[in-house]
Amino acid sequence: MKEFNCIGCPRGCLLHVEEKNGEFTVTGNSCDNGRKFAISEMTEPKRTICSTVRTVFADAPVLPVKVSADIPKDRIFDVMREINSVVLTQRISGGDAVIENVLGLGVDVISTSNVLNENIHIKTEERTNG
Amino acid sequence: MGIKALNRKLYKEYGGRVTASLEDNCIVLRGCLDKWEDVVAAGLMCAKPHSKCHVVNDIVFTGAEEIPMRMPELKDTALDGDRPDVLIIGGGISGCSIARELTRYKLDVLLLEKEADLALGASGRNDGEVHPGVDLSRGSLKHKYIRRANRMYDRVCSELDVPFKRTGQYACFGKKSWLVPVWLYAMWRRFYDGIEDTRIIMGDKLREKEPEINENIAFALSNPSSGSVSPYNLVIAYAENAVHNGARVSLNTAVTGMQVKNGKIVSVETNRGTVYPKLVINCAGVFSDEVARMAGDRFFSIHPRRGTNSILDKKTGKRFNAIASVVGASTPGKTHTKGGGILHTVHDNLLVGPDAVETYERENTATNPDSIERVFAKQKITMPELSERDIITYFTGVRAPTYEEDFIIEWGRKTKNIYHVAGIQSPGLTTAPAVAEDVAQEAAAWLEAEENEAFDPIRHAPPHLAAMSDAERAELIAQNPDYGIIVCRCEEVSRGEILDALNSPICVPTVDGIKKRLRPGMGRCQGGFCSPLVTKIIAEYLGVPLTEVRKSSASSPIVFGSRKGETADV
Amino acid sequence: MFDYDVTVIGGGPAGLAAAISACDNGAKTLIIEREERLGGMLKQCIHDGFGLSRFGERLAGPEYVERFMKTLYEKNIDVSLRTFVTRVEKLDEGFCVVVVSSEGLKKIHTKTMVLATGCRERSAKQVFIHGTRPAGVFTAGTAQHFTNRLGVLPTKRCVILGSGDIGLIMARRLTLEGAQVLGVYEINPTPSGLTRNIHQCLHDYDIPLYLSHTVTRVFGADRLEAVEITEVDENLKPIKGTEQRVECDALIVSVGLIPENELAESIGVALDWHTKGPVCDGQLMTNVPGVFSCGNALHVNDLVDFVSASGEEAGKNAALFAKKAQYRVDIRIGNEFLYLVPQQLDLDADNSKVTFYFRSKKVMGKSELRLKINGVEVWKRRYPFLRPPEMQQIVLDMNKFGLSNTADVRFEIEVVQ
Repeated sequence: MKEFNCIGCPRGCLLHVEEKNGEFTVTGNSCDNGRKFAISEMTEPKRTICSTVRTVFADAPVLPVKVSADIPKDRIFDVMREINSVVLTQRISGGDAVIENVLGLGVDVISTSNVLNENIHIKTEERTNG
Repeated sequence: MGIKALNRKLYKEYGGRVTASLEDNCIVLRGCLDKWEDVVAAGLMCAKPHSKCHVVNDIVFTGAEEIPMRMPELKDTALDGDRPDVLIIGGGISGCSIARELTRYKLDVLLLEKEADLALGASGRNDGEVHPGVDLSRGSLKHKYIRRANRMYDRVCSELDVPFKRTGQYACFGKKSWLVPVWLYAMWRRFYDGIEDTRIIMGDKLREKEPEINENIAFALSNPSSGSVSPYNLVIAYAENAVHNGARVSLNTAVTGMQVKNGKIVSVETNRGTVYPKLVINCAGVFSDEVARMAGDRFFSIHPRRGTNSILDKKTGKRFNAIASVVGASTPGKTHTKGGGILHTVHDNLLVGPDAVETYERENTATNPDSIERVFAKQKITMPELSERDIITYFTGVRAPTYEEDFIIEWGRKTKNIYHVAGIQSPGLTTAPAVAEDVAQEAAAWLEAEENEAFDPIRHAPPHLAAMSDAERAELIAQNPDYGIIVCRCEEVSRGEILDALNSPICVPTVDGIKKRLRPGMGRCQGGFCSPLVTKIIAEYLGVPLTEVRKSSASSPIVFGSRKGETADV
Repeated sequence: MFDYDVTVIGGGPAGLAAAISACDNGAKTLIIEREERLGGMLKQCIHDGFGLSRFGERLAGPEYVERFMKTLYEKNIDVSLRTFVTRVEKLDEGFCVVVVSSEGLKKIHTKTMVLATGCRERSAKQVFIHGTRPAGVFTAGTAQHFTNRLGVLPTKRCVILGSGDIGLIMARRLTLEGAQVLGVYEINPTPSGLTRNIHQCLHDYDIPLYLSHTVTRVFGADRLEAVEITEVDENLKPIKGTEQRVECDALIVSVGLIPENELAESIGVALDWHTKGPVCDGQLMTNVPGVFSCGNALHVNDLVDFVSASGEEAGKNAALFAKKAQYRVDIRIGNEFLYLVPQQLDLDADNSKVTFYFRSKKVMGKSELRLKINGVEVWKRRYPFLRPPEMQQIVLDMNKFGLSNTADVRFEIEVVQ
């Protein structure tokens, strides 16, 4: 039997997983996400990454990014290396891909902020001046 | 006491491990001791208060390894071959005030400071009290200068554009039975020692003015002339005015040796080259005896003494507006300045402290928890509502007393072209304006210097917007919109003011340099919000990456580079 | 006379939610932010996990807060960025918020205020860490600002004090960026952060957590060189003899947040000793009528969803309060009147066509009806006669007189030759 905490939500349930003939029995969970997380932890643990990529813009020298879906836990530092190799020259928006299908994992590295997106700033200027 | 009697006393105490001898009108102590308290006690045992026959304490302290002086990283030849009329060693209150007073004469003045900024020694790490001198008796140099200097503060601070407040000081007594002896003491001080503002205030009257003073306080010695000033701001202002009048200040410059020939300093070696001054003024604080030694003129010893002060949140400043201390169970007047006090600072915080702890480490300004506990325990007698919870920061300074516990303000005894301003401890900040006048006068006379008609006593501090009226502030922002961009929200410091400080006569483009001049990082968040912003402004001003910005010295980077954006094969 | 019904101070998640809900409830709303962008601390909280209960999604901090920013910018809400509130004055009616920005110093009159000022971090000195004052002592938030907004590293090898969520998240964050986190030290016998963060931030990266340990000292004259770690007893007091020196280049402290209420206190808002936030009623109004509090300024929250919810509540209630406390002026009449309707004017309403009805008390010959404001005649009309049975009607543009609620507005009738 294995025990660990669920990371699905702030509740952090203590999950117990029992394996019998390749079948998993999960207890301690409060929802189905907990069960899924427990099984994933036993078979192929996955995590998300949130980081930043370098930009060429002085107003935001780095742009926050994340992976669009969880990636295998043991590939975190491989993906980080890819993230660290980027120098962004376009003022992209939140949700836009920075790296598509990173390392062939079927997951994109996407921007999580509009900080580079001028539209908001322009609108702000208008408002403060008006 | 004769030297034989001294040796008998030393023998009794240290069993022959220490001996004293009279050499060149100095009491020289030799031997080995493994406890620093003993080294200091032996020195104090042989010293006569205010005597000109000083203790030179050469007892080897075997309890710890000798700590070399902190040296700047910088090495160049910028000063090599420089021939100033006057070389001032030390950028504290003494050095900077003397530099400014010297610019009243036609003299080439060069001031050296080994740290990255001015006032990084005791001058910048004290409580900032402008003392009334109520604890000083006739016969000492401290007493000689205190009244004159105290009276000078209004003029000096207005000339130098430095905030100064006369808050008044209360030395509080718990026992009503002491009223008569303390009254007699007060009269003695007032009429014999000339501390004219000394008077007695009864507890009820005192509490009317300062309601948080303990019910148990029966009466207090009151000195309304006492005040508070920002010590480092005053030092910087003095130095800026000196530079404005033609003096030169070289930071990150340490004296490493001197060449002395026939009782005369020929040259002074520094990490920035060899300087050939006509006259050297020793204002080197805790290292003043070392500088004297280099000059072949060592006739006194410094025994460093640490003191720790706590700064409380500005909210507490509203609760108490003066300076107060409590006098313990010993004779009145003897103890009350050493035990520290509570002081309403010129920036409206409360400051609590300092204590006094002997140390062999001249430059160790690390704080210790027991200092704060001790000081608070004592000061709660005066103000029971005082709470450690309100502390936002604390700092330690190392004072530079001699064993005689008086100042040394005199020409070299063996070496002719050096003037010592040493042993400057409390109330050295207070006395500095008067001492500087006298020293400058003597130096100028010795150098036969003419008066400098172009001397401008006025320093214009850069605008401090938070203290201005709405109209003044609006007008300045209209002239320079950067004054409207607030960077430090605790102390309301704008981007414009930071740029002013970076463009000031003595530019110190470090986070601490800006902090000292303008206070971002001195408020209740202690730089949590503003330090990245200040770092960024400095980097932009210098045109360097953030990684090149320093907190203070060359080896104090704030941040390191990230590998982000370099090629993938890291 | 009032620039705004609701002025929100602070453009973080609480303030954004407050401004949006104040506007939705019909209030003329202003939001003031001292930084150049809205979003508050969430701008630098680039990790995910925000908005699970509100949006049912795991969002990164900027994603969460930018949803509110988008909504806010779509509404008719005034935004003042890079604007600092230097003081607030309490007026007989409402408040005067004095702000400083690069455009100058402005006085904003508002009926109500929502204080969404967030909190600050407790510093190393405030938890009595002693020793030298080197570079390399950061609060977790400052370290986060450098790392996530400026793209530089505050450390290569550090110790983190405090296992609150920010401390844990920074442990993972710095590790991802290539720094070495030697350990997270917690003075309490149990972790302070969420269990899931212990798991995903520490366990996943093999970062040790030391409970009942604290940092008692820092070393290094220039840059931090080492810290002293000491075990603590059950009263959280350091145990002598358990000190150990850990070589590192930074100490990152995550030792608690303090609600920021200095502005609130300056206008007499009472604080609760426990929360360090204002004492509030069910509408999140403080003891000063018209002043509302929300988010981390009210009390320290662990989830931003709650912060937004309290912002919405405070914003809505401020809007309702502003509506309720209408600003009216009495219309007075002289003795010659039987009556005049209306007797009051709502100064917030459109008064460009106000119809007055009146009757004289007795029969009067050639007369003049006069309107005086603060004793000065501003309008008049002649009547050949006035009789009580005959009601008179006049329509006046009352806006043009710039009435305030303290104005003396008075109609008089006088017989003229």
